[in-house]
Amino acid sequence: MKHFINGIIKENPVLVLMLGLCPVLAVSGTVRDAAGMGVAVIFVLTCSNIVISLIKNWVPSQLRIPIFIIVISTFVTINDYTMQAYFPELYKVLGVFVPLIVVNCIILARAEAFASRHSVSASILDGLGIGIGFTLAVVAMGAIREALGSGTILGKTIIGESFRENSVLLMILPPGAFLVIAFLMAGMNKWVKK
Amino acid sequence: MKNAFKLAIKLLIICVISAGALALVYNKTQPVIEEMKRKKLKSNLRSVFKNAVRFETIKEDTLWHAFDESDSLIGIAFKAYPRGYGGPIETLVGVKLDGKITGIIIASPSEGLKETPGLGLKVREKWFTDQFVEKKKEDLLLKKDGGTLDAITAATISSRAVVRGVADGLERYLK
Repeated sequence: MKHFINGIIKENPVLVLMLGLCPVLAVSGTVRDAAGMGVAVIFVLTCSNIVISLIKNWVPSQLRIPIFIIVISTFVTINDYTMQAYFPELYKVLGVFVPLIVVNCIILARAEAFASRHSVSASILDGLGIGIGFTLAVVAMGAIREALGSGTILGKTIIGESFRENSVLLMILPPGAFLVIAFLMAGMNKWVKK
Repeated sequence: MKNAFKLAIKLLIICVISAGALALVYNKTQPVIEEMKRKKLKSNLRSVFKNAVRFETIKEDTLWHAFDESDSLIGIAFKAYPRGYGGPIETLVGVKLDGKITGIIIASPSEGLKETPGLGLKVREKWFTDQFVEKKKEDLLLKKDGGTLDAITAATISSRAVVRGVADGLERYLK
């Protein structure tokens, strides 16, 4: 249980470990994109953690990085095909961001730092915890950026029509992502390190 | 030496397992994906050209002829790829023989559209694409350029690209 909670707050991959920020900045323009990305990351992270934990004693230490990458990219591709075939609506929304999970360093970092040293059950919990921590952070960013930048949440107008028409365009552009993540990190630092 | 050989074998094993798993998933999902693409194209053609009941492919994935109930030619549908802000904007256009547009549909990001989310990506929105309906080639100009079509706020390049792409396509295919 400790491992599970750990990933959500104390070692939140985005706001505390600051890993894999690239996709976080890129997909947090709307809540829907952010949530879809989060789900895909939870799937890949948990699966790769399980497999890597299972084969950890068999993998020679010189080869661990290439092997981890192969395992991760296999799951990402499986995820990509499956989504495309059976969840075309979700896939349509996420598009290019799904294959980009391969280069998300949270997943490699957890493989290296956690799954290759812990039991399968602990690795599952860690994968879920970190994955959910990632999802919460991205969705929070998505909500803030979408609300301020487009005046909507999940495509529904909030605050009012006049705000929607004159929203803070900057927030859905890349600089908005940097601003929001900076404020979230500052808040997290104050709250967690107290 | 012996050690290096062992490492290579281990890496090979992992790669083989991974390739096998991928091949399995690919075989299972690919027919579904292909089928979906075909259906998607069909429904897209239908929605840009509501009066047509049958389409005949003239050029694979580029040009179609549209026929009505009595099987007479009533128009064409074509794909245009104008250059937008991030790359080509795949646009499917239906047009009657008299040169009036019946509808346009713009491909989604997963189909390769690279416009900026929240800005250029809005070219896919209904209010924007609906503006083209019943327009002729001469009418295809943004208000900014002296025409009648509304551009998307802060995404003039993408808006203009679509307008030009549709106009160029009409020029090329409608003779």
